[in-house]
Amino acid sequence: MNLVTAYFRDLYRATISGWNRFWFTPADVATLALIRILGGAMLLYTHAVWTIGLEDFFGANSWISPEAARGLQPNDNFVWSYFWLIHSRGALWAAHIAALVVFALLTLGLFTRVMSVLALLITVAYVNRVPSAQFGLDQINVVLAMYLMIGPSGAAYSLDRLWARRREGRGAPAIVPPSVSANLAIRLMQVHMCVIYFFAGVAKQQGETWWVGDALWGAIANLEYQSLDVTWLAKWPVLLAIMTHVTVYWELSFCVLVWPRLTRPLVLALAVPLHLGIAFCMGMVTFGLVMLIGCLSFVPPALVRRLIERRDLSVDYAADQDRAGEDRLAETLPLSQVAGRRHRDARFATSRKQSG
Amino acid sequence: MATPARTSGPAIVEPAQGRGWSPAICALVSVAILWHLAAVILAPLSNPTPTILGDRLRPVFQPYLSATHMDQGYKFFAPDPGPSHLIKYELTMSDGSKQKGVLPDIEAHRPRLYYHRHFMLSEFYNNLDELPPPPTVPDQPMPELDWTRLSPSARQREFAKSYADHLLDKYGATSVSLVLEEHNIPPPQRVAEGLPLNHASLYRQRTLGTFTGEQP
Repeated sequence: MNLVTAYFRDLYRATISGWNRFWFTPADVATLALIRILGGAMLLYTHAVWTIGLEDFFGANSWISPEAARGLQPNDNFVWSYFWLIHSRGALWAAHIAALVVFALLTLGLFTRVMSVLALLITVAYVNRVPSAQFGLDQINVVLAMYLMIGPSGAAYSLDRLWARRREGRGAPAIVPPSVSANLAIRLMQVHMCVIYFFAGVAKQQGETWWVGDALWGAIANLEYQSLDVTWLAKWPVLLAIMTHVTVYWELSFCVLVWPRLTRPLVLALAVPLHLGIAFCMGMVTFGLVMLIGCLSFVPPALVRRLIERRDLSVDYAADQDRAGEDRLAETLPLSQVAGRRHRDARFATSRKQSG
Repeated sequence: MATPARTSGPAIVEPAQGRGWSPAICALVSVAILWHLAAVILAPLSNPTPTILGDRLRPVFQPYLSATHMDQGYKFFAPDPGPSHLIKYELTMSDGSKQKGVLPDIEAHRPRLYYHRHFMLSEFYNNLDELPPPPTVPDQPMPELDWTRLSPSARQREFAKSYADHLLDKYGATSVSLVLEEHNIPPPQRVAEGLPLNHASLYRQRTLGTFTGEQP
């Protein structure tokens, strides 16, 4: 009995400890800031394209009348859009231009906190107004906007940061202190991506072609989607089957294999050809890219800083490893490799000195 | 062991120095996280195919899912990549002349995202009601199946009228006829043998009706 009690006591303590470490460890904002720039640019482009047919889709006599749009969920009063309140052309264009300004400011990182909240509200308002013109891109846009709102996404690579440093003078730190909300936003994004891929994979298990192995053919031979003709794959059914199965099992296993440090790089590397394949073969560049932006949430901030700023934070993150556990180790992998290379270089230099 | 030299530049605040939250705030936020994650998982669990558990929990989370636009199934190209659906229209102008168009139009609807917006209009119409899936793609020309004579549901009628009203208003036409066209995907063997993806045998059509401005 004592053994059982001890087990559950340990389980409870480990769960609480792991939960707190996972959600409430302060984190550098670099990854979130990068996602703000790319996600903001995607939101800006997505909505800028509406400009071509703004009145065709959002006007009084649009493709989808307000009655038809609202009739989809007649008993759901929580599906909202401020477009229901807009009845004149002038107001419609003013609202649209204001939306584009918000997305532009979010991308640049000016008044980021306010802009990120507005960006979510605007994104939801647009998709609810045109339910029959949306697809996966819009779903992920909403996901990104929601989590950008939670963390201090403007605390790096932003006009806000530039402004703050000017105000604070030369003594201002180059990097703002890590914050819990930055970690929270990234964690929520990561978990949401896992849920998206898992259910995308599970849903495919209900389909015969995904099981048999010729589903990918159904995608590449669809003339209305096709932007790059790869139907020569018709002569390579085994290759098609392998690609189909890899797609499904990659989606299903993403939520497990993306966490350990050894499998994370492989899982993320596979995301690139998969989503770029969708982007360039099926003409869904925006969807392919927005999924990759979501996958960026798994890239450690240290690596982001190293790539963007050429700044080596291995010292800072090495100190962080003990505290943050296995998942943190995964994030520091590239820097560990760098540290290892330095160690080898140092030994090499020493041996040359001795032999010379 | 000597500490490696830090990259030159302004002072860097080490990650470990970040300020944490108080236990009370963490507890409060934990409840919010649990609520949010439950909603995130529930949405695809019961969308679009309902589940027993999802149906029980849905009323609790529906307002949150709807308000945040998170009520999504994330079923990209599932359960199977199917045929495409296009809406063809023919406008009759006041002088009796005819004008034709299609949703989506690869030439007229650019850039590609704008094309996809129009593509989704026709796909959405087709998906409004769960139609029985088409049979396995035949090698022979597509026979006239019941699909071509299926009556539209009330929601499909509403959306067809909405699309028609838009076309009438935009082009100043007196009437417009809508046709739903399904473009099936041939098996790889047939394509390897030389069948083009736009072969006439791969298409079938269903008339959605002729609409005038006076119709209710």
